[in-house]
Amino acid sequence: MLEVKNLMVFFENALAINDLSLEVHQGEIVGVLGSNSAGKTTLMNTLSGLIIDMKKKEDRRGGERITVLGEIRYEGQEITLIEPYERVKRGIVLSRERHPIFPDSSVEENLKIASVLRKDQEIRKGMDFVYQIFSHLKEIRKRKAGFCSGGEQQMLSIGMALMTKPRLLLMDEPLLGLSPILQKDLIRATKQIRKEGVTILVTEQFARPLLPAIDRGYVIENGVLILFGTGRELMENPEVKAAYFGV
Amino acid sequence: MLLSILIYGLINSIILALTAIGFSLTFGISGVANFAYGGFYILSGFLVWMLLNYLRFPLLLAIALTIGVVGLLGFITYWIILLRVRGIALSEVIATFALGVGILELFRYLGFVTYEFTLPYLKKGMILIAGVPVDYQRLYIIGIGLALVLFLYFFTHHTRIGLSFRGIAQNERTAISLGIRSDWTAALSLAFGCAMGALAAIVILPLGIISINTGYEVLLIAVAVGIVGGLESVSGILIASLILGYTQVFTGTYLKPEWMMVVYLAAIVIVLTIKPSGLFGKFKELEERV
Repeated sequence: MLEVKNLMVFFENALAINDLSLEVHQGEIVGVLGSNSAGKTTLMNTLSGLIIDMKKKEDRRGGERITVLGEIRYEGQEITLIEPYERVKRGIVLSRERHPIFPDSSVEENLKIASVLRKDQEIRKGMDFVYQIFSHLKEIRKRKAGFCSGGEQQMLSIGMALMTKPRLLLMDEPLLGLSPILQKDLIRATKQIRKEGVTILVTEQFARPLLPAIDRGYVIENGVLILFGTGRELMENPEVKAAYFGV
Repeated sequence: MLLSILIYGLINSIILALTAIGFSLTFGISGVANFAYGGFYILSGFLVWMLLNYLRFPLLLAIALTIGVVGLLGFITYWIILLRVRGIALSEVIATFALGVGILELFRYLGFVTYEFTLPYLKKGMILIAGVPVDYQRLYIIGIGLALVLFLYFFTHHTRIGLSFRGIAQNERTAISLGIRSDWTAALSLAFGCAMGALAAIVILPLGIISINTGYEVLLIAVAVGIVGGLESVSGILIASLILGYTQVFTGTYLKPEWMMVVYLAAIVIVLTIKPSGLFGKFKELEERV
């Protein structure tokens, strides 16, 4: 479904992603593991096209030079340089890290804003789908999103991404800052979303809660791919154990 | 006397709010400070005048056409002038201010400086409200001001464009990652801001003559109201207009009318010293706007 070949991303002369290749197949949950500054967020921004938007704005005013090399193919078509808007229309959407929501709007309005590209009759359906996966969001739908807890905001952020009816959902560090119980809930929800036919690519620093849930995983460090394998293989790998399980 | 101050203070406040709302709408959504606002305001006045006097259009058609054309000009301004300096606040101000001065001074150069340039009242005549005479035009201004606030509420809560506006205003990157196009939204925000400025011009200018200097004054009003109220909050704009509107009427009544302009400048200085984000605004980090 998604093929990344020899991807390189530079900010000025700093190499954020170095010759990275990965694949995501239809219906999988694929994890990208790495510590802080490993390049996870840059990878997600590149896949969602956000970096193309940043690059365009920086180029216009002569700011930071952002270079994207390599190839990203989605369902056989090259999408390396197209705008986020085009990618969302084709079904790739990103739920950004640190649950960034629209703080001054209510939970339900957040979902509405997220669905400006959808038709009216689809919006109701999309909302029911989100409330079915995160039933708690329905209870707090009138609350201002800025007043919600971190966990609620994270559910909302994923819910907003789901409103665009994605086929490939990118989740950037969804477990960050959540309690172990909430992490478990969120992983359960992730599996449920996959059951509905959405393919998922998720990044994470904390391997322990995530590894059992993923089909395959990639480990990156300083923008370089150092390991890959199925979830089980990674769990049993001594290097991963040492680096990400604190054993 | 007191009753007259109360009524005319309210009218004055609504005039200020109507004048400022287009400017702060654009800034609130896309972070673009449209310093050409005064230029578009006067352009709208002259455009209606020309449609009425040269082409003999009916009033309502001339008004509708002008609002549309000025909105479109705002849209084009974004793509031609603002696109390259987007995100550099100072350059945005310089570029748009230059455009505004260009428009205003072009009209001065073309000789639009005499007293014949006036717009017709929407309805002539006046009524007494509790013994205070108020003309229909001012009542129309109140009505249109209130209608605009209601329209804005409906528009930003229930239409696609309005919802995209609120998305981009609150968190641009998240909005982009959900498929909202930032350039289109910003251009539309400029178009809406200019169209609202045009509407304000069309209902307010009949109270006096269309003079070029009004253009500079309007910009000052918009900036003053925006700074006092906080540039991105509609309720802030309304309350700031009430504060400034009443202060002005008191100043005009108890001090001297020539002190009325000082109110704006004093308000800007006081607010910037005490609470730079405005009474109701939240300070937006520059990097969040980019």
